[in-house]
Amino acid sequence: MTGTPAGASPRRVGGYERVTGLQRYVADIHLPGELVARLVTVPCAHARIISIDTSAAEAVLGVRLIVTAADLPQPLARFGPQFADRPVIAEGEVKYHGEPVAALAAETKDAAEEAARLVRIEYEELPAVFTLAGALDPGAPLVQDPSLRPNDRLAGTNVLREHRVGWGDVDVEAETADLVVVNTYTFPMVTHFAIEPHAFMAAPDGDGIAVWSTIQHPNWLQRVLATVLGLPLSKVRVLAPDPGGGFGGKQHTKYEPLVALMALRAGRPVRLVLSLEETFQAARRAAAEIRVRTGVRADGTIAFQDIAADYLIGAYADIADRVAAKGSYPGCGPYRVPSARIVARSILSHTVPSTAFRGFGNPQVNWAVESNLTEAALALGLDPLELRLRNLARKGEAFIPFDTPADGDWEQTVRRAADLIGWGKPVPPGRGRGIAIGIKAGPTTGLSYATVRLLADGSVVVHAGTSDMGQGARTVLAQIASDELGAPLDWVTVVMGDTSVVPYDQQTSASRSTVLMGNAVLSACRDIQSRLGAMAARLHAVDQASIVVEHGVVRLPHRDIPIPEVLKPGLGRLGGELIGIGEMRKEDEPDHPLGGSAAFFEFNCTAIEVEVDEEVGDITVVRHVTVSDVGKALNPLQVRMQDEGAAIMGLGHTLMEHYIYDDAGRVRNLGAIDYRIPTSMDLPLELVSDFVENGDGPGPYGSKGMSEGAVLCVASAVAAAVRDATGVAIRDLPLTPERVWRALQDRPTS
Amino acid sequence: MTATIAIEVTVNGRRRALDVAPHHTLLDVLRDDLDLTGTKECCLVGECGACTVRMNGRIVDSCLVLAGEADGAEVTTVEGLAADDRLSRLQAAFLDKGAVQCGFCIPGQLMAAQDLLGRIPQPTTADIQEGLAGNLCRCGCYEQITEAVHAAAEGPSR
Amino acid sequence: MHPFAYARPTTLAEAVALLELHGPAARLLAGGTDLIIRLRDGTVRPGLVIDVKAIAEIRPAIRVDGDRLAISAGTTMTDLAEDGHVRRWFPALAEAASVVGAVQIRNRATLVGNICNASPAADTAPALLVYGADVAAEGPAGTRRIAIDDFFISSGQTALGRGELVTAIELPLPARRQGAVHLRRTRRRGHDLASVTLCCAIDDAGVTRLAYGSLGPRPVLMTDDSGALADPGTPEDVRTATLERMFADARPSARSMRASPDYRLAMLRVLGRRGLQIALERLAART
Repeated sequence: MTGTPAGASPRRVGGYERVTGLQRYVADIHLPGELVARLVTVPCAHARIISIDTSAAEAVLGVRLIVTAADLPQPLARFGPQFADRPVIAEGEVKYHGEPVAALAAETKDAAEEAARLVRIEYEELPAVFTLAGALDPGAPLVQDPSLRPNDRLAGTNVLREHRVGWGDVDVEAETADLVVVNTYTFPMVTHFAIEPHAFMAAPDGDGIAVWSTIQHPNWLQRVLATVLGLPLSKVRVLAPDPGGGFGGKQHTKYEPLVALMALRAGRPVRLVLSLEETFQAARRAAAEIRVRTGVRADGTIAFQDIAADYLIGAYADIADRVAAKGSYPGCGPYRVPSARIVARSILSHTVPSTAFRGFGNPQVNWAVESNLTEAALALGLDPLELRLRNLARKGEAFIPFDTPADGDWEQTVRRAADLIGWGKPVPPGRGRGIAIGIKAGPTTGLSYATVRLLADGSVVVHAGTSDMGQGARTVLAQIASDELGAPLDWVTVVMGDTSVVPYDQQTSASRSTVLMGNAVLSACRDIQSRLGAMAARLHAVDQASIVVEHGVVRLPHRDIPIPEVLKPGLGRLGGELIGIGEMRKEDEPDHPLGGSAAFFEFNCTAIEVEVDEEVGDITVVRHVTVSDVGKALNPLQVRMQDEGAAIMGLGHTLMEHYIYDDAGRVRNLGAIDYRIPTSMDLPLELVSDFVENGDGPGPYGSKGMSEGAVLCVASAVAAAVRDATGVAIRDLPLTPERVWRALQDRPTS
Repeated sequence: MTATIAIEVTVNGRRRALDVAPHHTLLDVLRDDLDLTGTKECCLVGECGACTVRMNGRIVDSCLVLAGEADGAEVTTVEGLAADDRLSRLQAAFLDKGAVQCGFCIPGQLMAAQDLLGRIPQPTTADIQEGLAGNLCRCGCYEQITEAVHAAAEGPSR
Repeated sequence: MHPFAYARPTTLAEAVALLELHGPAARLLAGGTDLIIRLRDGTVRPGLVIDVKAIAEIRPAIRVDGDRLAISAGTTMTDLAEDGHVRRWFPALAEAASVVGAVQIRNRATLVGNICNASPAADTAPALLVYGADVAAEGPAGTRRIAIDDFFISSGQTALGRGELVTAIELPLPARRQGAVHLRRTRRRGHDLASVTLCCAIDDAGVTRLAYGSLGPRPVLMTDDSGALADPGTPEDVRTATLERMFADARPSARSMRASPDYRLAMLRVLGRRGLQIALERLAART
């Protein structure tokens, strides 16, 4: 009996259920006596609620409960990962198009739908801000009540926070730089569009409550619910089936508190499944406008970077300010930059609350800074790859002073990507090439517990609170246990997503799980190995110090014994199991601007070759190369899939995705018909992914976290290729055919 | 409210007699009345393909089929692909090629892929991409799904 | 969805009677790919949905009937795109049918449904205009034929009267050799609603027929009898001037999410030029 080694690509754990339709997502789960909930909204981005008349709705057969802010425990609970600013339901005021004003629960979907139509809301539409210019205008209405930030000098503005990071002296450098390139770039508002819409269900559970959610952070949700409901954590059970795609949009609490309050009020389970349109109104990425001033010297070295990044976040902070702070922090890129100034602001608006989204604020700044580097290179007459290589930080260099140094041989990754695109080889006529580099800091703090149970027959149960939303965490964690304890992969069961059963995990985000939870699982396995060693020492009268337990084998000085043959006699007549506990912790650093340095960096180089049909503005990505530095690929197939998936997602915001607003701040393109994401026919003609493994990561077997790297610099690489093909630099996304056409039309003819 | 209508629909080889609301769709009937939750609900406008089923020999978006239209029809869902707990060649290929991430789009992808292979036993990559263009995958598994369909197409047909 | 009653008549007479009785309170259902979306978003709220697919005359059928090709109202885009007669004689129509949505949509969407929905962007409309289709309708007063150019009134509006439903589209078999093509502009290579649709056909008598959609409330057909566009030797400025006359009535909506008016107008010209070129090539290939 041997385990599956880390580094293999076995069939996905949970794959069988997914190809047979047996996998139960939240929306597939039903409880006896459940009520169906619907949200009621008003068609405004900003409005004052004057009155709500639910009498007609209440009269619909099958309606059991209708709640508005006035019906819920007072003062109305507010929550949010950064600010407790978000009410469980709109209170007196609607602050974004889609914010629920009332919620109802009925015996059937039809009754709920009919009743929702009959709720009469009298409202006064108010002016809304939904652009940066609008939000920053001195006369703009304030999105957030200033009393929520009593001692904040920014409280009278829509600027939520301003973050400043810098080193050296930009203004001095600016005087001596040989060339300064200044440009402003914009990044659009886009949404996650996981194919599974958010779904929630709550049911009274004895003197507590059970809540099902598509949440990526079950323990975090548990905390929020406990606070809102006034219950001890032990009475709040969060069940988090594997989400059908998350990408960050399911990290934080949305409507769970509302649904929970309704369930407790009704005394019955209440389920709420959002429509796709409602998910567009529940989560999105921050849009941004970034002004970059890049100074370079004639020899191609970077003198300074001066970056002003304004992130347009939504009406409630969610985790959006953190996105602005963390996303902009490594904004200068993985280069030697003697002087830098980065000012990042999170700016409130009457729009859907922006939240975490793959890349976490980095793609926006990358779009601007990498594009500007390309401009600088071209202005110097220097090859854009050469400029990057000349400035690339070497392994061990603190490219952000006093922070985690470069943790990889990044040049290797860049050269691999350049090779794969054929950089330097002649470009076929009508085509262009671009290259860009992306970097993102991994988790700055973290805490994962895992328990591993080695059962009497050698099979294994792993309890890990990570959320497997498709990235394959379940498989990787199973592989670690399988490899360490020698159990075949199909003898390993991984239990996730139940706070009553699974120990604490801080969160699933920042590509952390292989490193943090992986190390916790590894540590738990080591714990078991140690107990096995003690067992073997006892059984064979050998000194434990001379015993090594690894990869399913107990190695005594003169013989090797498979684990089951130690386990069985070791457990004796009473039987039982061995329980290992593992913990992986990354402490916070209170003096650090981000609260902690990066556990690792995700590093990616993307190189693109395009063909542009200039008459119509169509971009064809002929070849898309993406290479990431991953330390060790514990499951190479899953690594490849994550990178390719991220690359395709990046093509989405690069070429076609954006919210479209009317002049009153209402979203016009809710749903799948007019919000375009890549289909199978929108792929690059050739998509090539590769990864570099130097075993230099902090995770198990030298792995690093990955899965966001390949989304970071897609836009900047594509735009660089378009620039190469057409001579035109475009600084706004997405590069729709119309935008490209217009830029080409405006091209100065010379 | 409005009266229900009686329909008879054969789903995965089993004839079912149901009373359905006229304004419900085949997707509603499958998921809510027959507890066949393998077919998924997402966009409800026929764009994403998560609700793809086979009806009378062709694949359709079940969210755009009214319950009444399914009367007398033969419907196959993802639950009907495996025979006696043995995965179909296509399902096995999806697993082997790792063409599954979050899995939510996969039932629809499988139905579309099965249909494609029925029409074009040896498809080119372009055939596959076209045949599955109505099935969105946000995780971005398209390349692996294509490889899986190629793999399922190779070799002797069953 | 708002609830409604559902009827599935088995004869044309039944369907006509129901339509006449209920008027605008009833909606016809063929493929459902337009109707069900509107039922769900509430833009239509009929009391009765009449499913026509059980009516014998409506059942999918494409057959040669004398000097015409008759396409029954239940014929789907997939049927059209795969049919040998359509591909041989009306290739631009087959092309148009093959890009309506993805496979799942094409298996349900009907040609007749596409024209009755009367979106200015209806993919099959330009080809039907170019090929000179007739619409066969059945109503309380019996059968009548409506030339396709008279069928489209405005966005969402057709020439059908109360109680009438379309039973077939009839295409006159081409008397002359021609080369034809269907082109469109979309936001991505994957399936999408078009922001410009265009069909161009040139026959061996030198007549050019060009129809475009999504640049005004209804698709527009223009004809050039001068022979100028059909002659590869025509000077560029004459060709351009001729095309400009053909496009003079294009009025793209300023409100569209899919494309701005100036881009649409520019694309109309690009597709017009490309369409002409391809039509000429295809005509030459048929020699």
